[in-house]
Amino acid sequence: MIKAIYTAVLEGKVEEASTGVQKALDSNIGVSEILNKALISAMDLVGEKFGEGDIFIPQVLWSAKAMQAGMDLLKPLLASSDRLESGKIVIGTAKGDIHDIGKNLVAIMLEGAGFDVIDLGVDVSPERFVEKAKEEKADVIAMSALLTTTMQSMAEVVALLKEKNLPHVKVIVGGAPVDQAFCDEIGAHAYGTDAVDGLRKTKGLLGR
Amino acid sequence: MNLRVHREDLLAEMGYRQPPQPKLLEMVDEMLGLLGDLIEPNLAFKEIHGNKGLPPFLVGAALKYAGAATLGPKLENRVKELSDERKAAESYILDTAGSIAVTKAGDLLWEKIRQDAAPRGFKKGLRRTPGCRGIEIETQQWIFEKLGDAGPGITLTQACMMVPRKSLSFLARFGGKLGHGFSCEGCPQYAQCTLRSEK
Repeated sequence: MIKAIYTAVLEGKVEEASTGVQKALDSNIGVSEILNKALISAMDLVGEKFGEGDIFIPQVLWSAKAMQAGMDLLKPLLASSDRLESGKIVIGTAKGDIHDIGKNLVAIMLEGAGFDVIDLGVDVSPERFVEKAKEEKADVIAMSALLTTTMQSMAEVVALLKEKNLPHVKVIVGGAPVDQAFCDEIGAHAYGTDAVDGLRKTKGLLGR
Repeated sequence: MNLRVHREDLLAEMGYRQPPQPKLLEMVDEMLGLLGDLIEPNLAFKEIHGNKGLPPFLVGAALKYAGAATLGPKLENRVKELSDERKAAESYILDTAGSIAVTKAGDLLWEKIRQDAAPRGFKKGLRRTPGCRGIEIETQQWIFEKLGDAGPGITLTQACMMVPRKSLSFLARFGGKLGHGFSCEGCPQYAQCTLRSEK
């Protein structure tokens, strides 16, 4: 049964993932076992395959959707100890930037992995990022930008977090013009090259 | 206006070098089927006369143009709807198809400008988009001021981004000597820039 769920997520079969999880629950298989051995293991392999260029974004999104379908059934039953990805992420597109497809992909990946994602949308001011992170007691702020002009506001978010004395809030950045050097320059904690890497780095920031 | 996006081009843009599984091909074909009804292309260009207040890229050119193209708002509205419906893969595929289509619209616009320049003896020219190396994003305002009422229905945000998002604009120059600082090398988007392929 675990194997069937694992395969369904791997192949991005939403209905089969959902049905499989329900069957497993009905058969008294533990929530933790379903989560770890089926859903998370499958998504880990999906991430690996994407990293190796064996699959591409549409397939990753199918798998994330299948995992999400399974997670929807598990969430109400998860004990706090089961929640491997217990973290809150505030995500948005940098001030002045209205392009959101990349940000949306990262949000889907994070949600699929079980994180609590608060999506602020596009053209988000540094103040809004920081206020929301403070209000929601978020662990991570994730920002995306498409242009060199708009990515500059990411530095303001990092500075504002320092000013507001919120050092525990980690910052991850991404987007076409962003690179590791820019991430280092502005003092962000991580740079994600793509949606899968963004998920991996976010997990890393939270010590997962 | 032929902005047809071919399945092979769309798959290649998403990274596929080999045919993917039938389920994905079906989805790709479905999204390509939607594309025709979702794009409302519009192109506009204007020859720039005089040298006062020119963006540095146009300084010294014998013939100068500003141009813009858009696919209109329907495509991105549908992309958002699909995303809201949790159809992320469909949303991504349609958005990628739109990116290819708007690039084609830009190529068509460039071709029209070249046709305008050719009778005056100019065969080779250069085009550059605001935000690219050496051209400030604020140059967008100058372009759309010049296009004026002839503009293709694009508005600018405060940060000089175009709405609809599947739009592009550029400056074009023919003849004369190009100043320093406009080389593509060193641009953060050098590797993936679609405009370089024309060179």
